[in-house]
Amino acid sequence: MKKLLALALAMVMVLGLAACGGTVTSTETPAPAETATTPADTAAPADAAPATASAITLWTYPIGGWGNEETVKALTDAFTAETGIAVTVEYLTYADGDDKVNTALTANQAPDLIMEGPERLVSNWGANGYMVNIADLFDAADKSELNAAALDACFADANTAYEYPLVMTAHCMGINLNAFKEAGADQYINTETHTWTTEQFISAVNALEAKFGGTVGAVYCSGQGGDQGTRALVNNLYGGTFTNAEHTQYTWDDAKNIQALKELYDLKGIAFDPSLVGGDEIALFYNGTLKMAFCWNIAQQLNPNSADTGAEKTANGDDIVFMAFPSEDGNAKLQGGIWGFGIFDNGDQGRIDAAKQFIQFMCDSDHTVDAVRAANFFPARTTVDAWSDNPIMGEYNKLMPMLGDYYQVTTGWAQARTAWWNMLQQVGQSDGSEAAIKAAVDQFCAEANAGT
Amino acid sequence: MANQPSMSRALARRENIAGYLFMLPSLIFFVGFVVIPMVLCVYTSFFDSNMNQNTPDVFIGFANYAELWKDPVFIKALKNTFIIVFVSVPVVCIFSLWVASAIYRMKDSIMSLFRIIFYLPVVTGSVAVTVVWKWIYNNYYGVLNYLLKGMGVIDQNINWLGDQRFALWGIIIILLTTSVGQPIVLYVSALGNVDATLVEAAEVDGASDLQSFWKIRWPLIMPTTLYILVITTINSFQCFALIQLLTSGGPNYATETVMYYIYYTAFKLYRFGYGNAMGVILAIFIGLLSAVQFRLAKET
Amino acid sequence: MNTGVKKITAYKVLSIILLIIFAILFAFPLYWILTGALKTPAAINAASPEWFPHEFTLRNFQVLFTKRSAPLYELPIPFTKLKVVGATVPAAVRWLVNTVFMAVMAMVLTCITAAAAGYALAKKRFRGRYLIFSLIVAAMALPKQVILIPLIREISSLGLYDNIWAVIFPTVGWPFGVFLMKQFSEGIPGEMLEAARIDGASELRTFTSVVVPIIKPGIGALAIFTFINSWNDYFMQLIMLTSNANLTISLGIATMQAENSTDYGLIMAGAALASVPIIIVFLLFQKYFTQGITMGAVKG
Repeated sequence: MKKLLALALAMVMVLGLAACGGTVTSTETPAPAETATTPADTAAPADAAPATASAITLWTYPIGGWGNEETVKALTDAFTAETGIAVTVEYLTYADGDDKVNTALTANQAPDLIMEGPERLVSNWGANGYMVNIADLFDAADKSELNAAALDACFADANTAYEYPLVMTAHCMGINLNAFKEAGADQYINTETHTWTTEQFISAVNALEAKFGGTVGAVYCSGQGGDQGTRALVNNLYGGTFTNAEHTQYTWDDAKNIQALKELYDLKGIAFDPSLVGGDEIALFYNGTLKMAFCWNIAQQLNPNSADTGAEKTANGDDIVFMAFPSEDGNAKLQGGIWGFGIFDNGDQGRIDAAKQFIQFMCDSDHTVDAVRAANFFPARTTVDAWSDNPIMGEYNKLMPMLGDYYQVTTGWAQARTAWWNMLQQVGQSDGSEAAIKAAVDQFCAEANAGT
Repeated sequence: MANQPSMSRALARRENIAGYLFMLPSLIFFVGFVVIPMVLCVYTSFFDSNMNQNTPDVFIGFANYAELWKDPVFIKALKNTFIIVFVSVPVVCIFSLWVASAIYRMKDSIMSLFRIIFYLPVVTGSVAVTVVWKWIYNNYYGVLNYLLKGMGVIDQNINWLGDQRFALWGIIIILLTTSVGQPIVLYVSALGNVDATLVEAAEVDGASDLQSFWKIRWPLIMPTTLYILVITTINSFQCFALIQLLTSGGPNYATETVMYYIYYTAFKLYRFGYGNAMGVILAIFIGLLSAVQFRLAKET
Repeated sequence: MNTGVKKITAYKVLSIILLIIFAILFAFPLYWILTGALKTPAAINAASPEWFPHEFTLRNFQVLFTKRSAPLYELPIPFTKLKVVGATVPAAVRWLVNTVFMAVMAMVLTCITAAAAGYALAKKRFRGRYLIFSLIVAAMALPKQVILIPLIREISSLGLYDNIWAVIFPTVGWPFGVFLMKQFSEGIPGEMLEAARIDGASELRTFTSVVVPIIKPGIGALAIFTFINSWNDYFMQLIMLTSNANLTISLGIATMQAENSTDYGLIMAGAALASVPIIIVFLLFQKYFTQGITMGAVKG
């Protein structure tokens, strides 16, 4: 009995310890000093005005600085100051964000606003009937000012838009210049145009492998995170395609992609690594383990690994050069990234209106430039001048004309992505024969097409 | 008990009411959060139910179940699930019995030191244990590769969790380290409770150590063994965090378990009805397994 | 004879050596968490691991505590839409508060409901008790993934989604506790209950003054079991909790791991924060832990 009492006491103690910090400050009405930093969180009465909700929630993926609490807070605070609408922000990761949103949707507890790209907002959650049509937010001026490709991707059809684009970029590769020089592989890259051919890429990988041994570049495939990199790599090597031009069918079972996969499998310096996703790959590149990253873009270039340790530098200070993906003629078709906001339909007009205000504040106002700069990407609105003072952005602009087809809005996209990384895993675990690779590609491409 | 003098009717009523009232709080939770969802699970499994709000659920009878047996991933997941259970349960039992019999006659302080060490992974918490193992197994700078290379066992880094030959075993090893703590504690006390005079008497009769173990100790610790079987089985079926955080079922479905595949089907493939059908099948298998275990328990 | 003795000692020496090797292997992950949490990023990424940190740093904990913030607690005031909100603290601290709250609540509720239900099942002859008991046994080993989808929908229609109670209630509903307490209550002597009834004690009084004192050790065992289980039940937390302020420490580390996949120093700091409190509790009370666990198996 006493022992049990002691045990209970222990539990109470743990509870007490944890609560200890609370009792110091647990006043019924928190002192202003405490609340000053978080006005949005304190005693927020909901539904003050019936017209527009006074509090909304935003879930954001780590899109440049939009994954950083401090950066986002500055932006939402400005919005709250102007409109009186409080914004609660949750930060998702690419590793578990989709699962979280899908769980919340299953539970009818989706956030009001979501920040990501058309591949999720339009072709997944929009197509599944969870998003609000925000076509009314685009007037004629917007339509002329916004980048045509971005605009097009955000519209499911002529009258239905599920996303308002904020920023965009071209995805590319990053290479560790110091390592390339050390291995004598810098002769294969053109740092002026940031392009290279398939042949040069193969020579570079072999040179790096000879110098450093082991894996110098990883075809990561633990999940879908960062798969734009692996898709672009495979498609560009020998000019394969991912979907047809009409976006009605997945075409990655073509012979050129199989050839590319076989080439990657055979390269000693390249490993199919089913223990990594894009984020892990960047981290390994950043700490010098990998000599090239396939999951790269301008936000990474400006702030590698979001580590705030200086632009264009790895952890140990090596120079990072961004490169287009290698292709036979050196003219790559890069994958576009488009990011913006969409609204989940929670059936509450007040909250939808408040969310629309938020979108206009971020994407169509004087504050847009801050929202864009926070993201470390290029503005989707051509009239916004966010980066003219930044030479790295200027240099990166060289890649933008290489933007290829934005095919991420093909029907059944979510399932196709899943099929893609499963295919890469199977290729990586196979014996590498052309027949085995073809079998894997055929099987999963058929699976992807089953969803269209 | 059954042949008690016929209970008066009032007494029987009182027993009934009291029984229900005592059951009530527990039943609210049990029915509310286990039974009802289970019923709904069976119900939805007959529908083509998905995440799309624009298409209503369609009743399709046993189509989901029929598809399951043609789904190679499900078959693989089922196989892996049973490999995990049928490997880890006996290994846990044997290993913990071995540790317990090696330490139960040691000095108290030394024994409890060992007991604490083997119990540590349990209290460390599944996620904390998982993330540290992820680091240990890491292909590029994990300590395991470093150690094995240093000892000359391997000459090239092995991607433990990224290679279909090793991934499932990597998971099982972690599961084992988090499973043996409690069985060891149980066996130590069970062995300690075996009447020493019985063993001595046997030894006087010329029984060897092994004989006295099988003839005397083993039958006496049988109830403990059965209890350990039950809790280890439950534990092995709960192995989700390991899969989700380490491999997501990969590579090439080598570590896919039914538990993870249900989650995957629901939130990556958006097929709720199909996922539920999987759940029902798994529940049936587990029900059968439990029935066998309890039959065993009754017989002893 | 002589060789026999020698054999035994050789076996003993061997088994002790093996035991020590295993003990080191079991303790290693925790050691790796604790030292990893204090290592510099350079040491973490070093090609050859530092077995013991050459240089200690609190950098990982600093990052951990500045990364995200959350109010220390939030208490909704009933019948209003207002909340009392605590001071803003590092989110990791809030996660600990949530976890302790969750584990303690689950423990208390489970003990109360399971003790009553177990007693009723063992000693009250009410109609339907066999059915209920069979249901409980059948559901005991059921992995929670089976009822994933219906449970999420149910929790959400109760308005509990993204609320710590959404994790607590299903934990309480899990029937293992009832099973355990039934096994314990079987041991209550019928004469004592009879005597209490003849004395005119009410059912509730009989329960609190006769039954509870007898099964107290069992309740202790169950308390420990539930506390650890709910602390470690990553899956329920994963599917039920979403907002930063509502996460548990396990979920928090998992999220951190997803965010900073290879910053193992930071992840280990999180893992240390998650495991050290519960390990301290365990070490302080390990005698009761081991006793409690043993109690649980008294009746298999």
